[in-house]
Amino acid sequence: MSTQDTTLTGSLLSAHELRKSFGPTPALDGASFSIRPGEVVAIMGPSGSGKSTLLHCLAGIVPPDSGTITYSGRHLTALSDAERSALRRNDFGFVFQFGQLVPELSCVENVALPLRLAGIKRKDAHRAAQKWLERLEVSDVGHKRPGEVSGGQGQRVAVARALVGSPRVVFADEPTGALDSYNGERVMQLLTDAARESQAAVVLVTHEARVAAYSDREIVVRDGQVRDAAVAV
Amino acid sequence: MSDAPGRAGIRGWARDLVLGVRFAVTGGRRGWTRTALTSFGVGLGVALLLVAAAIPHAVENREGRKGDRTVNTANSEKLSAGSFLFAQANTSFRGDMITGTVFRPTGNGRTDLPPGLAALPGPGEMAVSPALADLLASSDGALLKERLPYRVTAGIGEHGLAGPGELLYYAGSGTLTRASADGEADGFGQYAAGNPIAGVLLLIVVIAFVALLLPVAVFIGTAVRFGGDQRDRRLAALRLVGTDRAMTSRIAAGEALCGALLGLVVGAGLFVLARRFAGEVILWDVTVYPFDLVPSPMLSLLILIAVPVAAIAVSLFAMRGVSVEPLGLVRNSAPHPRKLWWRLLLPLVGFVLLLTAATATTLVGSETIQIALGATLMLVGVTALLPWLVETVVARLDGGPVAWQLAVRRLQLTSGTASRAVSGIVVAAAGAIALQMLFGSVQGDYTFTTGVDTSRAQLQMKTDTRDGSAASELVTSYQRTTGVDRAIGLTEGLIERPGPKRGEEKGHPFSRITVADCPSLRMLVKLSSCKDGDAFIVDEPAHLRTFAYVPRPGEQVKLVRTDETGKPGANAAVWRLPATAREVKSIVSPVGEMTAGVLVTPSAIDAAQLPRPMARIMVKLDPGVKDAAEHVRNTAARLDPLTSVTSLESTETDKQFASIRSGLFAGAAATMALIAASLLVSTLEQLHERKRLLSILVAFGTRRSTLSWSVLWQTAIPIALGLALAVVGGVGLGLTLLMMTGTAVADWWVFLPITGVGAALILLVTLISMPPLWRLMRPDGLRSE
Repeated sequence: MSTQDTTLTGSLLSAHELRKSFGPTPALDGASFSIRPGEVVAIMGPSGSGKSTLLHCLAGIVPPDSGTITYSGRHLTALSDAERSALRRNDFGFVFQFGQLVPELSCVENVALPLRLAGIKRKDAHRAAQKWLERLEVSDVGHKRPGEVSGGQGQRVAVARALVGSPRVVFADEPTGALDSYNGERVMQLLTDAARESQAAVVLVTHEARVAAYSDREIVVRDGQVRDAAVAV
Repeated sequence: MSDAPGRAGIRGWARDLVLGVRFAVTGGRRGWTRTALTSFGVGLGVALLLVAAAIPHAVENREGRKGDRTVNTANSEKLSAGSFLFAQANTSFRGDMITGTVFRPTGNGRTDLPPGLAALPGPGEMAVSPALADLLASSDGALLKERLPYRVTAGIGEHGLAGPGELLYYAGSGTLTRASADGEADGFGQYAAGNPIAGVLLLIVVIAFVALLLPVAVFIGTAVRFGGDQRDRRLAALRLVGTDRAMTSRIAAGEALCGALLGLVVGAGLFVLARRFAGEVILWDVTVYPFDLVPSPMLSLLILIAVPVAAIAVSLFAMRGVSVEPLGLVRNSAPHPRKLWWRLLLPLVGFVLLLTAATATTLVGSETIQIALGATLMLVGVTALLPWLVETVVARLDGGPVAWQLAVRRLQLTSGTASRAVSGIVVAAAGAIALQMLFGSVQGDYTFTTGVDTSRAQLQMKTDTRDGSAASELVTSYQRTTGVDRAIGLTEGLIERPGPKRGEEKGHPFSRITVADCPSLRMLVKLSSCKDGDAFIVDEPAHLRTFAYVPRPGEQVKLVRTDETGKPGANAAVWRLPATAREVKSIVSPVGEMTAGVLVTPSAIDAAQLPRPMARIMVKLDPGVKDAAEHVRNTAARLDPLTSVTSLESTETDKQFASIRSGLFAGAAATMALIAASLLVSTLEQLHERKRLLSILVAFGTRRSTLSWSVLWQTAIPIALGLALAVVGGVGLGLTLLMMTGTAVADWWVFLPITGVGAALILLVTLISMPPLWRLMRPDGLRSE
């Protein structure tokens, strides 16, 4: 399937001809992308190819220099910063490689944070967070701070936080990059299973084929362009 | 690597410290930034300490030069050929004091010169200080030029001036006489023994030094820990290659040592730079020459040793609470609850030291050390108690909105950083509160009510006149001056009982005679009626009499010169007090004095008969006229350059007390500026350390306002607790000091303004840190490539 072919009607999130430069260095050079509800897409590519920038643009974190991004029929590029923040808060979830949990909050408070930011009462938010911690098999670390848990446990807590708000899209940037193979695979299993159960689409940035294997579809970014696309499995 | 884990000889210590120093300077851009930040922070503190160490020398030199130029009147009985007459002709211009002396050589030899002068100015000429030359040359100086109608022919060199901003002139006169001069002398250089500083004032000076310098020390302690989190991550890598915990701590201390050593260099540089511009700075009318600012060698040596040693000690102490582990993991050690006992012990020991010191009225040198130590311990106790208080209070906080929760949790995890950041301001506030309490309670002893009624007169001029008829001309001149609402003129002379001395009398009994019109007399005595030609005798109770002699109505008296009472005055005119003279009661005059003697209206006496009486003019100014007082001073100088002009104030403050208060304000301003800089650097440093986390929080939709509030709460909570502690500690120290001085609390609410200043400072720093915070909150901070 070509890149253009993925820009189909019925896609939840799509991007067309994205360009983005950081100073004189182009990060994206006409990249296009689309994802359907509940789909897991892996973005692969070497370091510096622009895959993280593509994820950041798709998530409304970084505005592209040109091109369009459409989410659920809305032009992301036309939204204000506050509207994009609200979108990230209510519709998106995020998992990063490291340094993403607030060190001073306990694990359960970290998971409950997106719900609290969305205005949900503390008690209800904590109840929901605890359920997700159980689902990701880390309910025993809920009261601990991120500094007191292992890397694998921390990453599961991060996945729980990404999914607790029932997002429609989860953006995962090298979610297993700092984990050993066992923990990496376990986290990916839990992330994709939970996402599929919740009908959440997952945009997964990775350079590991083993991790990409959990996706429904893989695309490759090279020199800022989506060069290739293939349906995985 | 280490000889034995946890134990190291001197070589081991040196090796680890040097390794730390190397890390500090070879850590790439981030390492350099951290080292630069620490060096600058320490440098600021060191510069301030060097300024403090230079103050004694600067004061000594200023006073020395003032003494060198004072006319030496010790030889007035046997003058040399270089003798001269002199008269002080000080004035003030828009609140600035201008010191002036008028000379007229009387001998035929070479006249001695005041320092900074190549020759005494001739008649009509004037030598001026550079600051006065600038003032005269400025557009504002036109008004002043009128008052100093001399030709400027020379400048006064810096060796003849207390400071570069001093307004000083020497003028030459061809008309100065022995009668009008202050005296005759033949040289310069007279040194007042210097009033020994009063015990209470010494106490204030000692406490002020402690209160102002302690925050600087706290600041240096904070500065050597800048960028600590980042450093800990670097140290984790060292643990991986085999360093043990003790070595890691020593390497960290080495990094701090590097910052401290560079800080000494930066501090010396800043001091030299500040010294160069010292002449341009005016703090409460005090200016200092750069060459006066020479730090005391002993104090400099102390700074040189104490700063690096403190850096190492602070680092080692800080590393106790951090367990750096291999594999890049750095965790704060399982938080040990902070112990309270030793933190309480510090102020308690300080309290005992203060109480066992002698009472402030009998304070001597050795006891000042005990007092300084006691006050230091009490104030250090406040900073030591702060982390415990913050930790204990925040541990009990919970709930609230997300911003509050983020702040509280952050404080629960690392309350030490927040406490350190505000400890400088807390100790400064506590010291200032104690000093304000002391000031407030003793200022009554150093501030005097003059009794002047400033609604009736604001200026008073006194001048010797040739005879009594001149006073009315003077009144007319002042009355015509721009900005004068009303002028009251009195001619004051002396009357003496004619005839020989009687019995045991040591001199001829005398009294005062005041000649003035009825409206002016009504300002001095209660008059039921008054018309020109009337005379009055002030009725004083016998036991409160100002003058032993009071003539009776119809009695003859001699009109004598002020300086010739008791001498057989060949030319002394005789005058008869009118038989119609009535007794009247004195009231408080506009200058706050009671009147005594004989009062007469102009037609009752031939005023020309009064030999060299003094004319006293009291002037009420029109508040709507700009520079009204300056116009009056100009008139005074035109009429007689030696006229004494006094600004009438309802209160007067003791000079020593006022200068200490000025010095304290100057020091407080410098300390507050330093603390604000420290807070800002510390806040920005914390924000930079959390850059990625802030970006992530924003990435998943956290509102910027939520994070801003969280930063504000994070600063506000420790500050609120710190200021509360400062109030308790400051009031405690203040009460102790008052116990020593045996005075009562004058104002219990004295802490409010200082607490307000502290809070405002925090708010200001938080506001300044908002723009960088917003920049750091951009989600593109996630990008690492």
